[in-house]
Amino acid sequence: MNRATTIALVLAVVLAGMLGFETSAHGDPLTLRADALATTQSPAGLVMLETDSKLSSTVSAEAVVWTAASPLPGEHAGDVLVIALRARTADGRASTQLGRFVAILGATRPLQIDGAAGRVQLPHAFYTEAYAGIPVLAGLGTGRAWDWAVGARIARKLGDYGSVGLAMMEQRDDGRLATEEVGADAGVAFGKRDDVAVKLAYDLANPAVADAEVTARHVHDRSLRFDLYAGYRAASHLLPATSLFTVLGDIPAERGGARVTWKAAPRLEISADAGVRYVEDDLAPALSAHARLALDDTSRSALTGEIRRDGASDDAWTGLSGAARIALPYALFVSTELELVIPDSDRTPGGRYRGRAWPWALAALGWDFSAWHAAAALEASSSPESRARIDALLQLGRTWSGP
Amino acid sequence: MRRPLVVAALVALAACAGVLGLRKSGPQPFPHRAHVLANVSCTQCHGQLDHDDGTALHVPEDKSCTTSGCHEKPHDTHACLDCHATPEALAQLAAARDHLAFDHARYLPRTHGDCMRCHNGVAEGDDHMRPAMATCFKCHDHDAQRDARKCDACHKSLEAGTDMPAGHLAHDGDWVHEHGVRAASSADLCQTCHAEKFCASCHGVTVAALPATQHFADPFTPSVHRAGFAARHSLEAKADPGACQQCHQPERCATCHRVKGIAGDGRTSPHPPGWVGITAAESSHGREARRDPAACASCHGGAGEALCVSCHKVGGVGGNPHPPGFSSRVRLTEMPCRMCHK
Repeated sequence: MNRATTIALVLAVVLAGMLGFETSAHGDPLTLRADALATTQSPAGLVMLETDSKLSSTVSAEAVVWTAASPLPGEHAGDVLVIALRARTADGRASTQLGRFVAILGATRPLQIDGAAGRVQLPHAFYTEAYAGIPVLAGLGTGRAWDWAVGARIARKLGDYGSVGLAMMEQRDDGRLATEEVGADAGVAFGKRDDVAVKLAYDLANPAVADAEVTARHVHDRSLRFDLYAGYRAASHLLPATSLFTVLGDIPAERGGARVTWKAAPRLEISADAGVRYVEDDLAPALSAHARLALDDTSRSALTGEIRRDGASDDAWTGLSGAARIALPYALFVSTELELVIPDSDRTPGGRYRGRAWPWALAALGWDFSAWHAAAALEASSSPESRARIDALLQLGRTWSGP
Repeated sequence: MRRPLVVAALVALAACAGVLGLRKSGPQPFPHRAHVLANVSCTQCHGQLDHDDGTALHVPEDKSCTTSGCHEKPHDTHACLDCHATPEALAQLAAARDHLAFDHARYLPRTHGDCMRCHNGVAEGDDHMRPAMATCFKCHDHDAQRDARKCDACHKSLEAGTDMPAGHLAHDGDWVHEHGVRAASSADLCQTCHAEKFCASCHGVTVAALPATQHFADPFTPSVHRAGFAARHSLEAKADPGACQQCHQPERCATCHRVKGIAGDGRTSPHPPGWVGITAAESSHGREARRDPAACASCHGGAGEALCVSCHKVGGVGGNPHPPGFSSRVRLTEMPCRMCHK
């Protein structure tokens, strides 16, 4: 067992013990969940431990740690996904978070850090939030000095119908500027039927728009909904500024389209999406139609089907997929997922043969009884890398609650 | 010609009505409306509301139907609610009890036994047993709590994620792709229900297995990596450059490809013919690098960048790699500028 695995397991045990000791009658019960996953694909074995608890009405904590029995070479055998302690004032006007978590501030990019974050309400419907910490390296790595990231956002609520915000973040790798980004975001509802959300991130290190997205929704009635969406992404601005590939300039990826969602019957929902992707000179359609039929009123059993057309230029493809989940007696259920991808060309742009169709199928049997959950599945596929492949997957988990 | 088609469509619809939920089969919703019209008060059947300890469901027992002189001779020996209530309605009651901090006893004196002030949809069927949140807001002013994201006065264990929002904040449509722009202006609202592990399970650096792998037996777990993603991921990455880098480090491509024997020592070059040529017209690598720079960085990042600057340097045969109007705030003495600008 290497250092990372040891530290991960020790942290899990310490946190579980701490939460168990601190949990009081006025907090929610401590929950601890353990999952073991085994597959014939690497990583072959995985154990995950999750725990969370509300220590009081204003303090809560959670942790997720994992260890892999046979990780990919060069990857780590264990790590901490989350270990966070949250606290807030009784009136909810201020809150703070400490530990390892994903820091998200408005339109700036999400960043997993070891550090602290806080949020404070200000007068006149303003509020501000900020974080500071060390960007997480896989494997509990501490090899680099002077890695740090800070970010802050100020926002204002617009009555009951929306909010606008401005954010800024900076990240240093080994003391060198890796990311410097400002972002603007807004979400506004126009009455009960229409709303718009928009975000824009601007790269200050290599000045240019890095990412922009807008989505608008109209709810016609409870059974019919329309969405419009558009996005712009400059891939080189998502890389750290220390990379040579950020100074080449880039060809942005743009997309836009419309989607309609129709609840045709109480248990039947149909959606259709018509969009286009634009990358350099390639204008490619991105089309899909999806249907979901619930087989009972609680959706424990359901069927779905989808047809999709996507990809660009030589790499366009058409896909068909279907899935089913059927509840059985004795807390058992069976599920299956099928997919067939047909690329327009059976050869890569480099001329390598990749097959005419890539079928994929999975059949699973699950059991979800009280605190126990278990599942077994067989997965079969044909892909550009493997003409035929069959894998088995097993999962066993248990949840404890107490006291 | 048209008439048989219409008839066939109607027959098909009628045959599928039960499956589509248009016609109820099995247990029927409890006839609340008939009881109200017969002047049966709510508390006559739903007893013990004044002793609400947060655990009772207040579902009437058979004796409340028979001993009150209403149904002295039941037509069946089964429990009344086996047929005269839908199992889904009873499950909703249990979910509401687990999810909401609500004490009926506090409200009885104020409503004077008029349950319809809140349960105003009960005559329409069992689907409306639980009042909509807007019903609460008719009397209660929760603006301050809403602004402070304090939902726990009424909602218990939101972070457990056992109860999906239905009336407001519904996560329908293509939520997987839409959630980013929605969360940008209201991340704090997301946090009222979602714990850290929910975001980190996709956006974390130290993810052990993605949700699609962890929940392989549930085909309806939302994820961009479902089904045969491994086969089509290269096509998706090319159509949407930069999408992978929103969660993955660029090195991830090379690490995985090396392990699976798709790249690495002993393999032929993954690049197509015409990748590097004498003139720009004969050379496609520059265009491809601008189109998906992260794909190049995956193998040629770090020390591998030396390969690029062996040609693309000041005075080198590769010429100036910068686009027209290029500017940067990175100092020439820092990486990556200093690789060429010595």
